[in-house]
Amino acid sequence: MASKTNRAVMEPEVEKNGSPSNDLHVNLYKMLVKCRMCDEKARILFRQGKYKGNFYSGVGQEATSVGTAFNLKKDDWIAPSHRDWTSNIIKGAPLKFCFAQLFAKTTSPDRGRSSPAHMGYPELHVITPASSIAGQLNVGTGVALGIKKLRRNDVVVSYFGDGATSFGGFHEALNFAGVHKLPIIYVCQNNLWAESVPLRLQTALTNLSDRAKAYGFPGISLDGNNVLEVYDAAQKAIGRARGGQGPTLLECKTYRWYGHSEIDPAKYRVKEEVEAWKKKDPVAMFEKQLLEKKLLTDAKKTQIAAEITQEINEAVDFAEQSPYPDASELADHIWA
Amino acid sequence: MARTINMLEAINEALSQEMERDERVFILGEDIGLSGGVFKVTDGLLDKFGEERVLDTPLAEGIIIAAAIGSSMMGLRPVPEIQFADFITPAVEQIIQQASKLRYRSAGGYSCPVTIRVCCGAGGGSGLYHSQENATWFVHEPGLKVVMPSTAYDAKGMLLAAIRDPDPVIFFEHKSLYRQAKGEVPEGDYTVPIGPAAIRREGRDMTILTYGFMTQKSLDAAEQMSQKGVEAEVVEIRTLAPIDKNTILDSVRKTSKALIVHEDKKTMGYGAELAAILSEEAFDDLDGPIMRVTGPDVPAIPFSPNLDKAWQVSTEKIVTGIEKLATY
Repeated sequence: MASKTNRAVMEPEVEKNGSPSNDLHVNLYKMLVKCRMCDEKARILFRQGKYKGNFYSGVGQEATSVGTAFNLKKDDWIAPSHRDWTSNIIKGAPLKFCFAQLFAKTTSPDRGRSSPAHMGYPELHVITPASSIAGQLNVGTGVALGIKKLRRNDVVVSYFGDGATSFGGFHEALNFAGVHKLPIIYVCQNNLWAESVPLRLQTALTNLSDRAKAYGFPGISLDGNNVLEVYDAAQKAIGRARGGQGPTLLECKTYRWYGHSEIDPAKYRVKEEVEAWKKKDPVAMFEKQLLEKKLLTDAKKTQIAAEITQEINEAVDFAEQSPYPDASELADHIWA
Repeated sequence: MARTINMLEAINEALSQEMERDERVFILGEDIGLSGGVFKVTDGLLDKFGEERVLDTPLAEGIIIAAAIGSSMMGLRPVPEIQFADFITPAVEQIIQQASKLRYRSAGGYSCPVTIRVCCGAGGGSGLYHSQENATWFVHEPGLKVVMPSTAYDAKGMLLAAIRDPDPVIFFEHKSLYRQAKGEVPEGDYTVPIGPAAIRREGRDMTILTYGFMTQKSLDAAEQMSQKGVEAEVVEIRTLAPIDKNTILDSVRKTSKALIVHEDKKTMGYGAELAAILSEEAFDDLDGPIMRVTGPDVPAIPFSPNLDKAWQVSTEKIVTGIEKLATY
C-alpha cells in the first residue's frame, strides 16, 4: 500500500496525572451545551413547521457523543446513527450547514437528499447515514479495514443504540473487527428503548458490553451521562485503536428524554422513569461539578449560552434563506 | 499476444494483473485464499499477493460487502466475491441500502467503487440453492452497474473495466461458462467498456435479445433456424444496467421483431423491462408480438435430473420460440 511505515502509537489526550485539563473541562461543557441547545432548537423548528419529515432528538444522551467524539482528528471518521445529528457539530461542521440539513436546502452537505437528522459531512469524514439500523456500523467497520490496510493511524467512532445490537449485521461487523483488530470504537448509546421495545424484550443481558467477549475485544459499560467517565474511556479506546490493538465496545447507559422521534409521544414509558433520568441530566450534572470546582461561573455560563444562541440564530437564518434544490437535480449523483 | 483460454482463466488473469498494476486492489470472500475458490477462480492469488490482499473472510456475506464498501471509501479498490448468487441475500442490505445509494444520499460526497463478483446460474444439477441467476434483483436499483459477460475475452476486459469504474459494479459470472466459454484473450491489459451491448450475429428477420449463458444457446438456435431460412440477429446485453437502449432499439427497428431469451424466471424478469422499452420506444416499428423464452416461474432449479432438465432454457426451446415468432 501507499506507506509501509509503522502506525504511530498515539497517547490518549490527557494530562500526565491521568485527568483531563481544566481547559478541556470547560470545552467539553461548552460542547455539551451547544449540542443540547442545537438539538432543542431543531425540535422547536420542527414543531413550528419550519421543516418537514421528522427529527430524532438526542437530548439526554449528549455525554455519549461529546465524550467520545471530542478531540477527534480531522481525518478520523464518525459513523453516526439517526440520533447523532449533533455528531457533525462535535466533529466541527459549521452550524449553518447543520441547520441547512434540517431544512433540506442546497447548502446542506447532501443538497437536500437525506432526511433532516440523517446528516453526514464528507469533508470531516462523517458518513452520511442510511436509515437502516446498524447500517453505518457495518460500513464504518469497512472504513476501519481501509485505514488498517493503508497503514494510517485514523480511527472510526461508530454510534448505535441498544436496538442495533440485536441485528445480525452488528454481530458480523464486530466479529470481523475482532478478527482483524480494526481501529474502531463501537459506541452503544443504550437508552433502554428500541423505539418502543424495552431492553428486557431485546436481550437477556444486563450489560450490552458483555457482547464484546464473544468477539475477543474489551467491552466496557459506562455511566453514559457522566461526560468525564465517557471521555476517559473513549480516550483509552481511541489510544488502543491507534496503537493497532483493535476495537473496543463502549456501552454508554443513558436515556433519551423525548420520543423515538418528534411524532412519537412515547406513551410506552412511565413518567417516573423519565423524571428519574431527567434528574441525571448530563449537562446539568457536569455544570454543577464545574461550578463547584470554580472552573465555571454564573457569568461565564450566561456568556457561553448567549454566544451559542447567537450562532444558532445566524445558522437558522442562513438555512432559511438558502434555496431548495431545483427539481432538475432529481437524477444527479446516481452514477459518477 | 492472444491465446485461447477459458473464462475462469481469464478472470483469474484479470484479477492477478490488476492487483499487480494497482496496489489499491484487494480481494476478499469465502474460501478464496487457501482453497483458491470453490471453482478455483482465485487459485494462486494468495501465494502471489499474500494474506493482506487475498482475504479469506468469515462466513458472513453482509460484512464481506460492508468491508468492501467502507474500505473503498478510503480509496481502496476491493473486489469481494459472493460464492454463489443464491447466498447474496444477507448482503442485499449492504448492496441496496448502502452501495447503491451512497453517492446519491451524499450528493457525490462519498462513492464506493467496489466490484462484487458473483457466481451464478444453472450448471450440472446443482439444485435449488447453487443455481440461481438473479441479476435482475439488482437491475432495479439505480446506482448499481450490473454486468454479465459470456465470453472469455469480455470477462477479462469487463472485469478490468469494472474494477477501474468509479461506481459499484456487480459482476455476474455464470458457472456453466467458466470452462465452456473459451476464446482468444490478449495476454496484456485491455478493457471492454461497461455499457455497450454486442451484436453477436447479424440477421434481418428478428432480434434475439439475450445475455449470459443464453447467448451461446441463442446463437446455436439462430444457426439452426438459418438453415430453415430465418435469419435472427443476436444482441448480447453484456451490461444489464445501465442498459444500452440504442443498440437494442436500432436492431429491433431493423428486424421489426423481438424475441427475449433469459435464464432467469419469467415474471418481472429482465424481459419484462425490455418488452416495455420496446413498446414505449419502438411501437411503430414492431411487426409481431414481443415474445419471451425464459426460465419458468418455479422458485429455483430442482435437483432431480428430469426436473432440472425441464427447468432449463434449452436451444430447442429457443428454436421453438423463433419458429413461433417467425409466423407473424
